[in-house]
Amino acid sequence: MPDWKEEVRRRLARLNLEPAREAEIVEELAQHLDDVYERSLKAGLSEAEAKRAALKELADTELQREMRRSQKPASEAPVAGRGRTNVLADFLHDLRYAIRQQRKNPAFTIVAVITLALGIGANTAIFSVVNTILLQPLPYKDPERLVLVWEENAKQGYPTDTPTAANFGDWRDQNQLFEGMAAMAPDSFNLTGSGDPERLEGRRVSASFFPLLGVDPHIGRAFTAAEDQPNSGHVVLLSYGLWQRRFGGDAGVVGKTLNLNGAGYTVVGVMPPRFQFPTPDDEVWVPIAFTQEQAADRNSHYLKVLGRLKPGVTLAQAQAEMSTIATRLQQQYPKTNTDLGAVITPLHEQIVGDIKPALLILLGAVGLVLLIACANVANLLLARAAVRQKEIAVRVALGARRRRLIRQFLTESVLLSTLGGLVGLAIAYGGLVVLKSFIPENISQARAISIDYKVLGFTLLVSVATGLVFGLAPAIQAVRFNQIETLKEGGRDAATGGSGKRLRSLLVMAEVAISLVLLIGAGLLINSFLRLRNVDPGFRAENLLTMKIVLPEPKYEKWKMRSTFYSDLIQRVQSLPGVKSAAVTTNLPLYSQGNSIGVSIEGKPEPPPGQELIVTTRIISNGYLDTMSIPLLKGRQLTDQDTDNSQNVAVVSETMARRFWPGEEVVGKRVSIGKVRSQEDWIQVIGVAKDVRQFELNDDPKPQMYLTYRQFGFFDAQDLVVKTDVDPASMASAVRKAVWEIDKDQPISNIRTMETILAESIARQRFSMLLLAIFAGVALVLAAVGIYGVMSYSVAQRTHEIGIRMALGAQTMTVLKLAIGYGLKLVLAGIAIGLIAAFALTRVMSTLLFGVTATDPTTFALISLLLIAVAAIASYIPARRATRVNPIIALRYE
Amino acid sequence: MPYKLSQMLDRELKKGSAELLILSLVEDQPRHGYDIGNLIERRSRGRLRFNVASLYPLLYRLERRGWIQGRWVEKAGQRRRRYYRLTAEGRKVLAAQRNSWQEFVEAINRITGIEHA
Repeated sequence: MPDWKEEVRRRLARLNLEPAREAEIVEELAQHLDDVYERSLKAGLSEAEAKRAALKELADTELQREMRRSQKPASEAPVAGRGRTNVLADFLHDLRYAIRQQRKNPAFTIVAVITLALGIGANTAIFSVVNTILLQPLPYKDPERLVLVWEENAKQGYPTDTPTAANFGDWRDQNQLFEGMAAMAPDSFNLTGSGDPERLEGRRVSASFFPLLGVDPHIGRAFTAAEDQPNSGHVVLLSYGLWQRRFGGDAGVVGKTLNLNGAGYTVVGVMPPRFQFPTPDDEVWVPIAFTQEQAADRNSHYLKVLGRLKPGVTLAQAQAEMSTIATRLQQQYPKTNTDLGAVITPLHEQIVGDIKPALLILLGAVGLVLLIACANVANLLLARAAVRQKEIAVRVALGARRRRLIRQFLTESVLLSTLGGLVGLAIAYGGLVVLKSFIPENISQARAISIDYKVLGFTLLVSVATGLVFGLAPAIQAVRFNQIETLKEGGRDAATGGSGKRLRSLLVMAEVAISLVLLIGAGLLINSFLRLRNVDPGFRAENLLTMKIVLPEPKYEKWKMRSTFYSDLIQRVQSLPGVKSAAVTTNLPLYSQGNSIGVSIEGKPEPPPGQELIVTTRIISNGYLDTMSIPLLKGRQLTDQDTDNSQNVAVVSETMARRFWPGEEVVGKRVSIGKVRSQEDWIQVIGVAKDVRQFELNDDPKPQMYLTYRQFGFFDAQDLVVKTDVDPASMASAVRKAVWEIDKDQPISNIRTMETILAESIARQRFSMLLLAIFAGVALVLAAVGIYGVMSYSVAQRTHEIGIRMALGAQTMTVLKLAIGYGLKLVLAGIAIGLIAAFALTRVMSTLLFGVTATDPTTFALISLLLIAVAAIASYIPARRATRVNPIIALRYE
Repeated sequence: MPYKLSQMLDRELKKGSAELLILSLVEDQPRHGYDIGNLIERRSRGRLRFNVASLYPLLYRLERRGWIQGRWVEKAGQRRRRYYRLTAEGRKVLAAQRNSWQEFVEAINRITGIEHA
């Protein structure tokens, strides 16, 4: 027999019947239908027809209409006690009621919604960054199987070093667990011929590079294995951006020949839009095509190696295999491979690794901000619940169930938080625009940050969860009281005593504790950032203009030709009005580490393999140290007299002097690059210069050596530095013109001031610092508002008492102390808890700190004082108001 | 008579008389809903029929007015059923309704001349 009960229940669902009553009706009606069904069967109807006949009895609309008329609802209020059969109808009912409540009280609603919007908006904004940068898979096929393989030379301070070509070849040939490995080396190209000369960043890659990534060219084809051989003719792949910019997206470009670095390259294809590896800077790719000599090289560590694991191979397995191979190579080539391991890192981690800790900390921080917002709104709700005691008491007296009341309250709080979420979404949208401009440029996915469906889902989830979190306590609080007492008392201060007050106090303490944690975190970062900014980079960045001028090799094949170009360039630029001096260098500090070279020192034993003396080496023009204002501590500068006909000379850094010749007179000492083969290899130290932070302000300076381009041509100077009397940026076009007067085809790129480079080198730290400071600021404001709110409420509640005290002659000061004392007690308790929490939590940010420890006592103390001061003001204002109360009015207040 | 009017009148008649029918049927003995519906259909030879959707709401309404009273009764070997019996109040109402119905029918008959045809 069909189950009629369910049918009946479904049809009665919208009537909001009292559950027990509904059950009775369901039973009765179901029996009737049973009888109808049986009779129909006896009359010869089929089961289906009988069923239809029975259901027809229920005549839907009529049933509901008639039932509604016959059944008086248990109560007209939306909080009538009812069963769970009618969740949706209840919800709609509650929602309408909640909307009415909010309309009645717009000020409350606005404050609550703005508070929540700040919290939710911050979360949405940071989550969308995290979503794009950390959670989105990389845009390659099965990206989780892609890894980078590094040489590991921890003893020399290179835990992940760029491998040599020979090691790469051995790894590639000896492994079993990789689908393949591809090598890449950064390169740059001067594109000349049609249009302005242009400097292009690019990469030389193995033919297997694109297949390994699983990305096909947009048009044309990738490289063939044959093209990845030396002397197989030049071919090139273009980026989509370059193709659009330079060739107007003309498909006919495939097969054309481009002039790169003075040689002809045939275009074989164009990569798809948005293809990037690993950053969007690369615009051309050519085959790496190792010569036999290059492929056997175990000394030059310059490659990056991409690998794809076979399906099902774990990182640990691959790592174990690579370690085995590396150990074998150590034994095979002790001279070059001693202490040289191999280490793999997932590509994703490699790309986002640097910013990950900062992002996770920010995500934690905005979570805390949201908690504070919740605490604030919960407090508001508590205060309001107290006002609504009487309404609740009446409902309970009329038979409303408490669980049902709680649901009504939660509907209201979720409505509030959802509104907050909507406004928060708008805040996040605006915030992201700002945020994006703060994200360091080298985080390539930053451009893609947007609010997608995942972010929307997150916001919705957070909003609803928020509503439940801040709504639950006040809801439970609201319905937990003695209704008789409330009704008797006229419902004024039922929730003021006992547990209501305790809950509010707890919330304030929690707010203070959480803000303290955030503020200390921000304080530590600000402290670090200031210290970082105050690090002496070793040079003066003011009034320096820089640009990259890379001479194409075919055109300037001979060192002499390049040397002439530099002399000519420096002379022309220096003669420009507004220019004080000009110089060239292989690499600018804080932009590129510079080339590292192994050296020998006269009179010192040859270091054992794996412990070579590594020196960062820059090849410069004479005026470089002066132009950069790098002070000379001892000896003399490089001069025009130091030429290829005279003794090779070098200026070394203090660190190099101290490390290689501790306690000795350095000037006059001799070093050589690599092993000394003849007397001519010796380079004499003529001076000692102050240390320069070459790559990162927070890295200790490494040994450093300056050579002149007139004597050494193994690295090319690439960067021009111009010291100006005027705003350096204003000199850019004049300098550019001077370059083109020498060679109209010479590309110029990266025109920037040194101050910009300096600022960019700490952009990441600035980013984390600024954001955390903003969030901590928001937290502080919210906490202050929270304290103020609770204090105002508590003072208002005690107006009567204060009035009596004043009437009995209490001094203003006494009353003030009384009122503030309560607030300060809470704040101090919150600070105590917060200090403990901060002590435990700030450790997670130790990697972001510079020059301060995660438990820096000064920061802890100062921030605590700041918070106490803010809290004191927030409690003082309402307390002050209390003392102005006219005792007569206060007494009448009852 | 236009169809619509006839249908309307029919409904009104039924509604006005339905209370009377139900009260009458439970006058002698308590009856359950199905029984009441069945009796109405049988005794009217199928001309009057109440479906669940109209019968039970009516029963509940009468019950709420205090004219009838429902009680769950369990008989051996059967499921429990809700039997409705006439209350004292209901008895008065029934008497009054019977009277007025009688008067109403007589009035109609007198006008239409059916009885004296």
